[in-house]
Amino acid sequence: MSKLSKAIYEIHHMDTLANQNQWMNRIHPLVKFVLTVFYIGTVVSFPKYDMAGLAGMMVYPLVVFIIGDLSFLDSIYRLRIVLPLVCFVGLFNPFFDRVPVGTLGSFTITAGMISMVTLMLKGILTVLASYILIATTTIEKLCYALRLLHVPAFFVTQLMLTYRYVSVLLAEANRIMQAYSLRAPNQKGVHFKVWGSLTGQLLLRSMDRAGEVYESMCLRGYTGEYHFGDAIHARGKDYLYLLFWCCIFALFRLLPVLNLIGGLFVA
Amino acid sequence: MSHIHINVDQVSFSYEHGEKILEDITFTAREHDAIGLIGANGVGKSTLLKLLVGLNTEYEGSIRVEEIPVEKATLPRVREKVGYVFQDSDSQLFMTTAYEDIAFAPRNYGLSQAEVDSRVQHALEMVHIEHLRDKQIYKMSGGEKKLVSIATILSMIPDIILMDEPSVALDPRNRRNLIHILNEFEHLKIIASHDLDFILDTCNRTILMADGKIIADGATREILENRALLEENGLELPYCMQGKQTC
Repeated sequence: MSKLSKAIYEIHHMDTLANQNQWMNRIHPLVKFVLTVFYIGTVVSFPKYDMAGLAGMMVYPLVVFIIGDLSFLDSIYRLRIVLPLVCFVGLFNPFFDRVPVGTLGSFTITAGMISMVTLMLKGILTVLASYILIATTTIEKLCYALRLLHVPAFFVTQLMLTYRYVSVLLAEANRIMQAYSLRAPNQKGVHFKVWGSLTGQLLLRSMDRAGEVYESMCLRGYTGEYHFGDAIHARGKDYLYLLFWCCIFALFRLLPVLNLIGGLFVA
Repeated sequence: MSHIHINVDQVSFSYEHGEKILEDITFTAREHDAIGLIGANGVGKSTLLKLLVGLNTEYEGSIRVEEIPVEKATLPRVREKVGYVFQDSDSQLFMTTAYEDIAFAPRNYGLSQAEVDSRVQHALEMVHIEHLRDKQIYKMSGGEKKLVSIATILSMIPDIILMDEPSVALDPRNRRNLIHILNEFEHLKIIASHDLDFILDTCNRTILMADGKIIADGATREILENRALLEENGLELPYCMQGKQTC
């Protein structure tokens, strides 16, 4: 499978996950959106040396991966490009902050190492929380949640159409690449001499296709704003879900829960 | 006499002052007509369909759909009455699932969720694809996509259906199914196609085009049996009339 085919497959796979009829998928989209923002805010607010406190926040992705029937390995695979970048952020901390804070056998642990791990954890947890949101919520419902938050219709429509057009662009690029590779079987990659014409073709063809999609929308009554149908009402259990997790996040943020639990086992 | 749904009077069209794509096109279409629009490649069949639904409004002459002139100001009213099925289903279907795509038009017309659900169900039943309701578009075969494309139009409850090459990329079974569905649809339909056997099976009237003009307009069988007329205009007799096996 070519890289482009894989990219198309992965977009469709995310759509499949978001369209599942799981308990997590049925939670009100605004609840999931607000919870994700709150979670990310809480994670980011941890002090840079509070690794233990931050480790407690791992409970959210762990539990949601289980109840949402999401594959952890699958998520790591899909985030394989983003995660190294996120981890890279704190990579130089051990070189700049060399204050020793403890030892592990003969190995000295410095404050820079702790802050590096904390930064990496923050990055990984925020990316995982975003993944959970998009893997359990369709783009339409996500946009609906944004409209409920009074995000301008123009912006929401742009977001949704961009998401749709990414697929269109990838599909066109894939067709062009397949046609090219079938006629250049011994060639690795695309010869630089045809980069210009292929890019031009891609642009023209994807614009044509996007134009047809837009025409199809206009012919079915589209006038600039996407209509989401009747309001989706939040149920009692949606509010309970939000409240439960907000309490857990606040608890982990305000109290050293893991230290307290650890203290129970130390005489 | 049945009600006139489409009135095209001396219509000519060209892109950006170039060569004329359509020239002096005149015809009327009535309520229960099933019109086949035939002709060789590039004679203007698709362009004519696009004019009827207002995808191009810079034409000369007059087009009226149920007495409404097709012009920029009237497009929303015209498009409520006309459903247009694209040749390429991938251009027509842009939502994630069949349900979402079929519900797109009723939602845009401000219908309640109950009414949207009912329209979606009705459209699915009309094309016998109830089982595809929640299936994702990208997982569908070409035939399934074509049927969903038609359902997206039927959910608008249009008075007129325009179809561009509907039988392209369909296997014989799906093709036969589509013929059956179209024959069940009693309102006006205009089908542009090269597939003359398909036209023979679905249309009672045929318009033959060549070089942007109407060459013949009459009963389907009469036109499709006229070998000289067809060959003169870049077509051949339908397979079933050539003594070959029919599809």
